[in-house]
Amino acid sequence: MRSEGLVSPVPAAPAAAFTDVSKVYGSVRAVDGLSVELRPGEAAALLGPNGAGKSTCLEMLLALRTPTNGSVRVLGGDPYRAVKSGRVGAMLQSGGLMPEVTVAELVTLVAGFHPRPLPVDQTLRQAGIADLANRRVDRLSGGQKQRVRFALAIAGECDLLVLDEPTAAMDVETRQAFWAGMKAEVARGRTLLFATHYLEEADQAADRILVLSKGRLLADGTPAQIKASAGARRISFRLEDANEPFLRSLPALTTLELRRDLVQIQSTDSDRTLYALLDAGCRPHQIEITGLDLEQAFLAITAADNSGNPADTTRISR
Amino acid sequence: MTDTLALARLEVKRLVLRVRGYLILTVALPVALYLAVGRLHGTANGVPNAGYYMVAMASLGAFTCALTSNAVRIAQERKDGWTRQLRLTALPAGSYVAAKVIASTVTVLPAIVIVLALGRLYGGVRLPGWEWPVIGAVVLLAAIGFSALAVAIGYRFMPDQAQPITMIIYFAMILLGGLLFPLSGFIATIGKVLPTYQVARIGSDVISSGTVPVSAIAVILGWLAAFTALAVLAVRSTAETR
Repeated sequence: MRSEGLVSPVPAAPAAAFTDVSKVYGSVRAVDGLSVELRPGEAAALLGPNGAGKSTCLEMLLALRTPTNGSVRVLGGDPYRAVKSGRVGAMLQSGGLMPEVTVAELVTLVAGFHPRPLPVDQTLRQAGIADLANRRVDRLSGGQKQRVRFALAIAGECDLLVLDEPTAAMDVETRQAFWAGMKAEVARGRTLLFATHYLEEADQAADRILVLSKGRLLADGTPAQIKASAGARRISFRLEDANEPFLRSLPALTTLELRRDLVQIQSTDSDRTLYALLDAGCRPHQIEITGLDLEQAFLAITAADNSGNPADTTRISR
Repeated sequence: MTDTLALARLEVKRLVLRVRGYLILTVALPVALYLAVGRLHGTANGVPNAGYYMVAMASLGAFTCALTSNAVRIAQERKDGWTRQLRLTALPAGSYVAAKVIASTVTVLPAIVIVLALGRLYGGVRLPGWEWPVIGAVVLLAAIGFSALAVAIGYRFMPDQAQPITMIIYFAMILLGGLLFPLSGFIATIGKVLPTYQVARIGSDVISSGTVPVSAIAVILGWLAAFTALAVLAVRSTAETR
């Protein structure tokens, strides 16, 4: 008897799962009660200021560190086993390379360790270093070394790619080529998690953004949702005799900046804020309302956290 | 194992072909010293200079190669994060260290073979056939101990510390062991506990009487075990996972 159609599809294990994870170094809580899951095939960006715990999170994912509390699972199992079975491709910010060998020798070596290696030519081309194949690794520039590290990360078929600030040492052109290559990887069904300082990259390359600050997850959603959640719009106008306490009391306001008669407001609901202003009898001029870009959204989210607001994770329903 | 050998092969290739000064330090130096002293009349430890310095210089080249070139290199590769990078590949744990020791064992061979050949051809040392491989094997065994010591130092110290520590140990071993010139009196008594001295002693005994002193082998094996234990402890204490 065939039972087609009766079997409910087994949900695939998350590509990565943090469950109530904390990491403490001495008196510093680098990661503080983090719970998040990455779905297979997702491209997620990890954003956060320096010291937010991004690298620590990635290192726990790669079994380079063990959590103080909580559990980290990768592809449904132990992180170390996932890494050693070749299912995870990883690139760290400062992974060293073997000196005195050529790029091709090094990539061939690492591909040879992999249970499902890819042709070395293909890997070199994909990382944009085919022309460097016979150059010595220790004579490359920082950006070139970065691309070699990327080549090592993709030297075999993997299910999850973990990249810590992959484009930090790249120039603009290289960076664009890099993300084009990355998109191809994700299109082939790999899950991608990368940490970055460049919000523009997160906006373009990720379909999910995780904002981390002081080791906690502050926001989790698509780039559009993150922008919307952070005080979606910026209202600016000129107003004679602007009264600060009154302006602060406007509904939906998240931040206020006042410079003589120039008022700049971030608001989660620009219509409501503006109507309240007009209803109070104010007649501002030169009114401009603009959407926030991701960078402003990010600054707004982390600034709210730093000002001591008990900001719970901005969970965005999907 | 295949992975470990692939890594070891690339290690050997880069050391021999790409590292400037590598062959000079490990082969040319002992060869030059042997050419200088190998035909001098006189004896050391009861054997002609040609024979004594053949063993001493083969040892000098092998130990230089095993200890000094490896310790700082390992410390530097750890600092640069190459070992961390390997940790992120499917390469089994421990393969890096195993590959280092294998590569080191292979790269000490030229110094041993070339200096022994010089002993025969330039120094005129005549020995029964079986004695050559025995002398070579004893030097190699001691060299493996120094490879393990290099791992211990490389894992325990940063490169700028590893450099002077290695040099102090190296020169103490070489000088007190009598490899540059045989010692006498009190210092010689201290030197007798060292593997370097015992290698030279085995060489002398084999050349003069055709016997291999068991106590000397025991001392060399003892140091090999101690260095290996130090290496294992150092590697464990600095595990990449924290």
